[in-house]
Amino acid sequence: MEGVISAVFEVLNFGAIMVLVVLGLGVIAGMMGIFNFAHGEFVLLGAYTVYLFHTWTLPIWLGMLAAPVVVAAIALVLERLVIRRFYAVPVIAMLGTYAVGLAIRESVRGLIGGLYRAVPEPLIGSIDIGAVHIARWRLAIVVITVLVMVGCYLLLTRTGLGLTVRAALENPSLARASGLSTTRIYAGTFAFGAGLAGLAGALVVPVFSLSADLGIRFLIQGFLAVMLGGVGSFEGSVAGAALIGVMSAALPWGVAPVLADVLVFLIAVVLVRLWPRGLTAGRTV
Amino acid sequence: MAPATIVRALEAGLLVTFALLPLALADFWVIFVTRVLILALLALSFDLVWGFAGIMSFGQALFFGSAGYGVALLARDAEVRSIFVVLPAAVVIGLVLSSLVAAFLLLGRNPPSLTFVALGTLTGSYAADRLARGWYYLGGQNGIPSIPPMTAGPTEIGEGRSFYYLALVFLVAVYAACRFLVRSQLGLALAGIRINEARMAFFGYRVQWLKAIVFSVAGAIAGAAGGLYAFHEGFVWPNMLGVILSTQIVLYTLFGGAGTLIGAVVGVFAIEVVSFVLADAYPTVWPVILGVLLLVVILFRPSGLIGLVLDQRARAGAFRVAVRRPRHVPGKAADGAA
Repeated sequence: MEGVISAVFEVLNFGAIMVLVVLGLGVIAGMMGIFNFAHGEFVLLGAYTVYLFHTWTLPIWLGMLAAPVVVAAIALVLERLVIRRFYAVPVIAMLGTYAVGLAIRESVRGLIGGLYRAVPEPLIGSIDIGAVHIARWRLAIVVITVLVMVGCYLLLTRTGLGLTVRAALENPSLARASGLSTTRIYAGTFAFGAGLAGLAGALVVPVFSLSADLGIRFLIQGFLAVMLGGVGSFEGSVAGAALIGVMSAALPWGVAPVLADVLVFLIAVVLVRLWPRGLTAGRTV
Repeated sequence: MAPATIVRALEAGLLVTFALLPLALADFWVIFVTRVLILALLALSFDLVWGFAGIMSFGQALFFGSAGYGVALLARDAEVRSIFVVLPAAVVIGLVLSSLVAAFLLLGRNPPSLTFVALGTLTGSYAADRLARGWYYLGGQNGIPSIPPMTAGPTEIGEGRSFYYLALVFLVAVYAACRFLVRSQLGLALAGIRINEARMAFFGYRVQWLKAIVFSVAGAIAGAAGGLYAFHEGFVWPNMLGVILSTQIVLYTLFGGAGTLIGAVVGVFAIEVVSFVLADAYPTVWPVILGVLLLVVILFRPSGLIGLVLDQRARAGAFRVAVRRPRHVPGKAADGAA
């Protein structure tokens, strides 16, 4: 019984992190049609911001609040300078964003001296459910993810801003003809997606500790999750992320960890090959 | 000068330079240039799939590394290291693996989107890297060290001048074969596919099959490069399979100029040499500069270094031409300058 509870929690925890990373990736892929190879580096920048706050002996939670804002600001500048040139040229966009990511990653590597840096958890201790100890911070990650997800969903479906975003997503030409500035919506969405990645990085840095390659592990899983769920839908991204997260966390309980790692990728690629439009094809927000 | 003349002059110039280089260089530099020649072979394989057939492969390192591991295992466990066995083995490993990948990604009822092929090959490369890192039989993180040198009959081919000329002969032979291939009927059909796939399909070409064939050939070339690399370095390690090398090769080729075979060679040579010099002097800043430099090339000089001497229209694979929009994203038309 204890094993099952901690396993379920493990799955939930990893799924939550994946959802945060993939939400931004999926929105950007759906709206601008580009796969952002620098997304993992936005996760890294979020983590780095928290680390900076820690070295300045400021509270960790303050860093976590600041991280999404800082990352979104950086992403906004990048979008205006570079990324906007890549819309509608998806393959060039992959290469261009990879180059951006490379520059960010290597800068951070230089700044932290190529080492692993630990950041303490802002919530210490654990909660006991029966005989199972669950770290408070890991529980907090799940709760925050759920809140952010619900917030995003409400923002997209219940507000005027969300309506314009959905309009630009579904039919950009018509949106422009109706007097919406798709340029501004794209810039805003890109920054927002990056901010979510920054938040994800900020939340996981106490768990994974900071290293320059922190972002890479999320990137390819994130891409697969987006394609698995179906490019261009909110539910699709969440479902894909959840599925990848669940597989990554659950498979090691069944097969050897080495094989499980690879199996997740293979299963995901095969699924995408069989359902190229994603598991939630035809249903959008 | 006509573009063809410039290319021919460049090819001849490079050939003479590479042929005479070892006579002028110290041993240390000969070894370094050998490595560059082998990487140029890998870049050629990528150039073939992207520059000529318009398939974005982020997984060339998968075939490179698998062939490397394959020959390393042959040398370690079967103690086979005759050049006449190991190099064909490397080619076969690359060929078989890339045919399988091509069959899965390209063939079948639904033709895949450009993005899916790119992400599929990337995933393959990443998964192989992870597998090699965790598998004890393949040496885990450390890979397989101290592979003995190749033998040709009684003589051993260690690193140095003999290996240099071996790599050079390989590169020249593969280059000539590629040059023949892209100018053949197959090459013309591929150029047609790259520029307008739907029209070629309408003409009755079996588009996906042609792509799969060229992908497999490129995989065989990458395999040969991997086999050479494993014996030249004397060890194989997971990075040979991974995403970093795959992407590096893509960027090197674009830097030199995709769609011209000579561009791939020039790109690898230029970046490797500059990297080698600057990475020593500025170890932390250089990778950042490299990232920015590549970004600038992608943004402002899409034809690469070779574009400095070649007219854009004269090239087979100006890569703006090959760009297509993903079909599965609705309402994406004419969106770029919005």
